[in-house]
Amino acid sequence: MRKIRRWGPGLLLVSPSILLVAVFVYGLIGWNIKVSLSDWRQAEETSGFDTSAYKELFPSGVGETGEYVSGVATGEQSDTLSTDPAWIIDLHHALLFTVAFVLGALIIGASLAFLLDKGVKGEGMFRAIYLFPMAVSFIAAGVVWRWLMNPAPGDRATGFNLLFDKLGLGFLRNDWYLGQDWGAAALALPAMWALSGYIMALYLAGFRGVPEELREAARMDGASEWRVYRHVVFPHLRPVTLSALIILGHISIKVFDLIVAIGGKQLITQTPAVYMWILIYDARDYAKGAAIATLLLVGISVLIVPYLIYTVRSERRV
Amino acid sequence: MTTVALDRTSRRRRRRRVSSRVLKYAALAFAAVVVLLPVYVLLVASFKGAGEADPSRAWALPESWSLDAWREAWNGEQYGLLPFLKNSLKLVIPATLISTVIGSLNGFVLSRWRFPGADLVFLFLLFGLFIPYQAVMIPLTQIFIDVDFPEGIPRLAFAHIVYGIPITTLIFRSYYATIPEDLIEAARMDRAGMLRTYWSVVLPISAPAFVVTAIWQFTSIWNDFLFAVFIVTDPGQWPVTVALNNTTGSLVTPYNVQMAAALIASLPTLIVYILLGRYFMRGLMAGALKG
Amino acid sequence: MADIQLDKLAKRFPNGFEAVKELTLEIAEAELLVLVGPSGCGKTTALRMIAGLEDISSGDLYIGGKRMNDVLERDRDIAMVFQNYALYPHMTVAQNIAFSLKLARRPKQEIRERVQETTRLLGLEDLLDRRPKQLSGGQRQRVAMGRAIIRKPQVFLMDEPLSNLDAQLRVHMRGEIEALQKRLGVTTVYVTHDQIEAMTMGDRVAVMRSGELQQVDTPTHVYDHPANLFVAGFIGSPPMNLARGTIERADDGLLVRIGSSAVPIPAEIARERDLDPWVGRELIVGIRPEDLEGPGEDGRHAGGALIRAKIDRVEALGANLLGFFTVDAPPATSEAIAEATGGGLEEVALITREGTPFCATFEPRVALRVGDEVDVAVDVRRFHFFDPDSETAIGG
Repeated sequence: MRKIRRWGPGLLLVSPSILLVAVFVYGLIGWNIKVSLSDWRQAEETSGFDTSAYKELFPSGVGETGEYVSGVATGEQSDTLSTDPAWIIDLHHALLFTVAFVLGALIIGASLAFLLDKGVKGEGMFRAIYLFPMAVSFIAAGVVWRWLMNPAPGDRATGFNLLFDKLGLGFLRNDWYLGQDWGAAALALPAMWALSGYIMALYLAGFRGVPEELREAARMDGASEWRVYRHVVFPHLRPVTLSALIILGHISIKVFDLIVAIGGKQLITQTPAVYMWILIYDARDYAKGAAIATLLLVGISVLIVPYLIYTVRSERRV
Repeated sequence: MTTVALDRTSRRRRRRRVSSRVLKYAALAFAAVVVLLPVYVLLVASFKGAGEADPSRAWALPESWSLDAWREAWNGEQYGLLPFLKNSLKLVIPATLISTVIGSLNGFVLSRWRFPGADLVFLFLLFGLFIPYQAVMIPLTQIFIDVDFPEGIPRLAFAHIVYGIPITTLIFRSYYATIPEDLIEAARMDRAGMLRTYWSVVLPISAPAFVVTAIWQFTSIWNDFLFAVFIVTDPGQWPVTVALNNTTGSLVTPYNVQMAAALIASLPTLIVYILLGRYFMRGLMAGALKG
Repeated sequence: MADIQLDKLAKRFPNGFEAVKELTLEIAEAELLVLVGPSGCGKTTALRMIAGLEDISSGDLYIGGKRMNDVLERDRDIAMVFQNYALYPHMTVAQNIAFSLKLARRPKQEIRERVQETTRLLGLEDLLDRRPKQLSGGQRQRVAMGRAIIRKPQVFLMDEPLSNLDAQLRVHMRGEIEALQKRLGVTTVYVTHDQIEAMTMGDRVAVMRSGELQQVDTPTHVYDHPANLFVAGFIGSPPMNLARGTIERADDGLLVRIGSSAVPIPAEIARERDLDPWVGRELIVGIRPEDLEGPGEDGRHAGGALIRAKIDRVEALGANLLGFFTVDAPPATSEAIAEATGGGLEEVALITREGTPFCATFEPRVALRVGDEVDVAVDVRRFHFFDPDSETAIGG
C-alpha cells in the first residue's frame, strides 16, 4: 500500500520513544514484578518463585502497633506468615497523609481560585506568590519545613511552636511530624504548600472557562451571586476537580523526597515509598522492595487507567 | 419614601461590597504571608552568624548580618555546594534540551502527522508519566551496570530523558493540536515531506510550547531527588539535591548553613521562575498540564 | 494542462457515513468546473479526493489519463487554494508564495522572477515583506492564490475561496478569478455553496446533493432545464415557484391547472414535453419568478396567459421588485425542495391563507402595495414540469 509512504515516516520518528518506553517503563515494571515474586531476599540473586514478600506485607490479622523502631526498620524474615509491623504503620501514614494532603490542597487551591476569580488588584502578584513553591525542590522545602515543624519542647522550642508562643497562641503547640497520631498529617503541610498553587491555577482556569453569558443569564433570572456560583459555575468545575484529585492522589502515593527530607528514615514518618528505599539500600531485601513498588503501581493504576481512558475517549468525541 | 429606602439599601449593599472586598484581600494577603513564611525563615536564618544559633531567637532578624553561612554553603570545605551545583548544571542543560526536542518531534507526529494507532501510542507513552519510579529504579541501575553505561551524571541524564518522554510529548501534542490542519495540508500540497513540514512550518511557531516544556523539565530535573539518589552512587557526582539532603542540609549541619544551602540549591529554578514565570503560568492557565 | 476523470468515485468514512456516492464526472482540459451544493453534499470531500488529501474508498480517478488513486498528493502536480487560506504565519508573502519552489530546489534567480511575475499578476507587489496577520482578507486570499499559481500545476483546486470575504469583495474577486483562470488556461475545479458564484464563474456547473451528482451542464442549461426538483429549487435566486397542479384535456388541447388558474398549453409544447401520459394526473409545476411578470409602469402586460394575484408582500431590491402572492394550489413540499431552498419558502408562507407562496417580478419603479390585485403574465414555454414521485423533470 502506497499509504505507508504517508504515515511510515511518522511511525519511524516516534519509534525510538516507543522502544525506550517499552523497555524502560513496561519492561522494567515487568522485571520488578518478577523480582517481587522471587526469593531474592539477600544480596545473592536466586530464581525461585516465592510470594513470601507479599505474604509478609498483607496483614493476616491485627498486627502489633505502637512499637517504634528508631533507625532502620528491619525486614526480619520469619518462617511463619506474620504481619510486618512497619508496613502497617506505613499504610496508616500513607492514608493519613493522602487524605490530609489531597483535601488540604484541593480546598486551599479552590478557595484561592474562588477569591481571585472576579479579578483583584495585584492578581498577577498574588498568583506569582502562590505558584512559586512549585519551583522549589521538595528537599529544599524539607529543610525549611523540618525546622518550622520542629517539635522540641519547652525552652528549646523553635519554628511554628515558637511562633505560636510569641503570638500568644501557645495552645497550638504540638509535636508536628513526630506526633504519634497525626504526624503524617503534619507532613502534608509542606506538600500542600508546594502544590496548592498549581491546584489554584487549575481551578482559576476552570472558573474563567465558564462563559460569562451563562452567569449573566442566571443573574438576569434573579439569582444571587452565591446562587450563580452554586448552580452555574460549580457544575462546570467537576472535570477540574476530577483532574485535581487524580493528580494529587498519584503524587501522594509516590511522594518520597519530602518525607525523606523531613523525617529521614525514621519509622515515625515512614511511608511505603520510603520503606521500599530502605529495604533495598539498607536491608538488601529486593523481593520485598519490589513487592512494595508493585503495590504502589497497582494503587496508581487503579486511579490512572480509568482516568486516561476517559480523557482520550472524550477527546475523540470532540 | 422609596428614594430613601433605595438609598439605604444601596448604602447597605455598598457597605457589604466593601466589607466583602476587604475580607477577600485580607484572606489573600494572609495566604500570601503563609506561603512566604518559609522564605522569610530561610533568608533570616541564612544571614545569621554562628553565634546566633539560639533557638528562642529563631524568628527574630539577625543581630548582625553575616555572610558566613552563605560562604560555607557555597564554597566551604565541609559543606560547599559548588561542585554539586556544577554537577546539576551538567545534568540539567543537556537533559532538558534533548528531552524537549524529543517531545516536540513526538508531539508533532502524534497530533499532526498521524499514523494508524497514533492515539494508542500516545496512551502507551503517557502511562509512563504516572508510574512510581521506585518500581523501576532497581532494574534500571542493573541495566546501567550490565551495559557499562558511563557512571554518574550521564546515567542520570539518560534516565531523565527517557522518563521525560511522556510529559514532553503530552505538552507538545496538546499545543500542536491547536495548529489548523489545513496548514499542514497546504505544506503537503506544496510537496513538503514530514521532516520538511516540521522544520519549515511547525517548528517556527512552536516557541510557546518550547518555553513551557523547557521550564518544566529544567525545574523537574534540577529538583529531582529520587532518580539521583538511586542512580548516582559516587558522592562526588551527586547533583545538588542529594548533596543538600545528605550533607549540607542534614540535621547535623548548623542551621544557618542549612538554610543558606537550601536557598542556593533553589536559586537557579527560582531565577528561571522569576524571569520566565509568566510564560509558564500562561501555559498552565491555558491547561497545558491539565492531565 | 490535463483533463480529470472521476469514475464512480466514492468515499465511505469509518463510521459508515457515505460522503460521496459513485460520482462520475469528466472535466475537460482548461475547463473551470464548479462543484456546487448545500453544506454536507460531499463537494469538498470530492475535491479532497482529487487532491489526494482523502483516500478514495472505491472508484477511479484519472488526471491527464493517468490513474491517480494510489499517487500521493505531492506527486499529483495539483495546487490547492484552501477556504481559510492556510498561509504560513511566520513567513512573509514572498516566502509563502515561493515556498513550493524553494522545496523543489529551483535556482534563486528563477524563484525571484517567478515570484515577481505572480505577484504582479495578483497585484501583491507592495506586500511582499508583510506577514499574513498584517494582511486583509482579500489580500490573504490573493496570496493563497499566488502560492497555487506559481507552481504552474496541471490542475487547480479551490475550496470555497471566497466564502470568508465581504459581499462586495466577493463580487469583485469572482471576476478576477475567472479572468485569471482563462488567462492561465489551467484545468480548475471550484467548490462553492453559493449558486450565484457557480452560475457566474463556471464553464460548467455540477450540482451535488447528499453525495450524489444531480446534474452537470453549462450554467444556462442547468438554469433552463433543471433535471430534478432539487436543482430547480437550488439554482436561481429567488428560487423557482413550485406547486402541485394537474394536466387536463380541454376541447382545443391540454391545459395545466394550478389551483383556480388554468393555463392552456400550445400543442407543440405538449408534444415536446410529452405531456399526454399526464392527463388527469397530478404533477409538479414550476415557473421562475423572472418568468412571472407583473404589469409594467404603464400598466401593460408582456403578453401570454394571465394569473390573478393578490399581493401579500413586496420586496423592493432597487434593481428589481418582487411581489409575493399566494396561489391556491397545494405546495410541492419535498425534502429536496426544502434542502434546496434552505426551508425559506415554508418559513415565509403566510399561515393565514391556504396555498403556495409564489413570487413574481415587476419593473422596479412600479407602485406595488400589499393588497393590490394584479394580473401576472406567464409564458407557458417557461413552465417546468416534474414527476411528483421521482422528482425528475418531465420532457425537455
